[in-house]
Amino acid sequence: MDQSIKRFSFKAMGSFCEVQLYAKSRIDAKQVVKSIAAEIARLEKKYSRFRDDSFVTDINVSASQRLGVKIDTETKALFDHALTCFEQSNGLFDITAGVLNYIWDFSSNKVPSQAEIDQILPLIGFSKLSFKRSRLYMPANMQIDFGGIVKEYAADSAAKIARGLGVQHGLVNLGGDFAVIGPQPGNQPWTIGVANPKEDKSLMAKIDLLEGGLASSGDYERFFMHDGKRYSHILNPKTGWPCAGLRAVSVAANLCTVAGSVATIAMVREESEGINWLKESSLPHVYMDSEENIGGVGLKT
Amino acid sequence: MKILHSRSLIALSTTALALPGIATADAPPTQSTLSYKISNYKEDKLSRSEVPFGDLDRYDIDVHQFQLVSPISRNMSVEINANYESLSGASPWFTSTGLNGEPIVNLSGASGIRDRRSEINIGSTYYLENGSFSANLGYSEEDDYRATYFGVNGEQHFNNDLTSVSLGFSYSADDIFPTDAKIFNRVNKEDKRSTSAFMSISQVINQFSSFQSAISLTRQSGFLSDPYKLIDVRPESKRQISWSNSYRRFFKNANAAWHINYRYYHDDFGISSHTVDMSWHQNIGRSIKVIPIVRYYSQSAANFFTNVDDFLKPVTQYQSSDYRLSAFGAISGGLNFVADLGQWTATLSTERYIANEKYSAYNVSKVSTALVSYNRISLGIEYSF
Repeated sequence: MDQSIKRFSFKAMGSFCEVQLYAKSRIDAKQVVKSIAAEIARLEKKYSRFRDDSFVTDINVSASQRLGVKIDTETKALFDHALTCFEQSNGLFDITAGVLNYIWDFSSNKVPSQAEIDQILPLIGFSKLSFKRSRLYMPANMQIDFGGIVKEYAADSAAKIARGLGVQHGLVNLGGDFAVIGPQPGNQPWTIGVANPKEDKSLMAKIDLLEGGLASSGDYERFFMHDGKRYSHILNPKTGWPCAGLRAVSVAANLCTVAGSVATIAMVREESEGINWLKESSLPHVYMDSEENIGGVGLKT
Repeated sequence: MKILHSRSLIALSTTALALPGIATADAPPTQSTLSYKISNYKEDKLSRSEVPFGDLDRYDIDVHQFQLVSPISRNMSVEINANYESLSGASPWFTSTGLNGEPIVNLSGASGIRDRRSEINIGSTYYLENGSFSANLGYSEEDDYRATYFGVNGEQHFNNDLTSVSLGFSYSADDIFPTDAKIFNRVNKEDKRSTSAFMSISQVINQFSSFQSAISLTRQSGFLSDPYKLIDVRPESKRQISWSNSYRRFFKNANAAWHINYRYYHDDFGISSHTVDMSWHQNIGRSIKVIPIVRYYSQSAANFFTNVDDFLKPVTQYQSSDYRLSAFGAISGGLNFVADLGQWTATLSTERYIANEKYSAYNVSKVSTALVSYNRISLGIEYSF
């Protein structure tokens, strides 16, 4: 079949989204991209904690309500995955940790006092949520944030929609989270360059993807220096203080969602534990440690 | 999909795969596939002690199968199957007793039988959000047999696609018009109807294992006897039930899957049977699969089975010396190879089957003559485009 690569980009979930796919005509491809964009917009509208009309806002408003809030199958599945992340990270990847952002203001470079942190900590803990049938009961003032999961999920879901529309060769890049629709023609992989957080326009590594996805997590985009100390925006939900582990991690896995969860768990752990966690996963990965050394396995040379 | 190594990764993948946007619902094929398979089925010769006179050769059948599966719209696919069989050899004609009173078999016609069978079957599947609906229509023709059949089938997934229930119904109308009917005083033209309903449930237990159970009920009516036997009188209706179960498990360290199937069957001719088979699907690298299979089968005899035809019995009374109605057991073993070469897939399968009354799990009061043993070999190629 006479297909050539078509590229489209648009903004979604606060980031740059690029779709590449092989199609006979740009018109065919555009229909696919429309469906992909609609799916990402649907998930953004449903799960953004920054939108007043999102379902996550409804959930957060429901905190302390005796009747709780009714959650649909998709949201329940996200909670189930979030619970797995919570368990696999020994409580360090916690979707209820978002309330710490009220005291850690990364635009004002202000370090909160221990007293402020101690006030917030009781509001954190996935295990404080309770589920009965299709309802969620959340204690007062707690909040949930699917930000660490939904973008990767949206990339996977977009790729599945494209496959359902008959696309065999394509790639979705949702703000650095990649999901393969299908390999390049001739069963050739997509080569994804992982940016070096230290140096502009240079690559830390290249990873070949035939299927599945690649996701990254890093603290280089948002951090501040205070009294010569580096404060990462990745916060430890148990202590309320920034994590002092790896600087940046990218992981390739069978799904972008899995890659994202593995990468985030590597970031929230202590540096050496994070590196071990990546090794034990046996997944292709690259990381930058606090000394700015680059390591990893399964990378393209 | 990649093989997942750590326990944590399995946990993360399990919950991620349950997300509705990711869970793999039924989807029509995105590619067309064209396949061709040639098989040879050859029954062992009988021994001279079983067949004192005439030829010892039994059936030798060559089968050619063509299949095309193609998507025709976003929610629909079509499937066309065409089969052609050519058969030669002989089948048991009547049984009698030898000089020492032992049952012996007389094969049909010194020159043997030659027959051809052609079949065409067209089906279509419509894919819904959480399931699919399909229907098929087929026609098959031989020198002495014609069948027209159709089937419908619906499948629904529940529980994030971990559970599926499927219901089906099929009907077949067959006409039998034996060759050389006048010469051998055979029936001229008879017919037969079959109606079947089935239900199955499959459950994904976890990422590595699944279980399926199915029940099927069939009712046949009309001419159910063998028109080529000198004497063969069977009831005009038969009800059958079968219950099939299968369990599959993937072993990630071995990169292989183990399949075990068990089937129970019973009909009101009086036959009950058990079938157990096991296969090991060993992946070697990315493109080769080797599958050894073993199977054990045993059945009880039909109420009216006899190993020596009784020509004095009134024709209103049931009797048949068809070896397929006797009590026996069978063991078979096979080895299949599958090579995935990108757009091409090649398969080679071989099977050796031996039936013997000694293998029977049931009591054998009348030992059948002419129990069959056979070799089967087939070679297939498939092209996706």
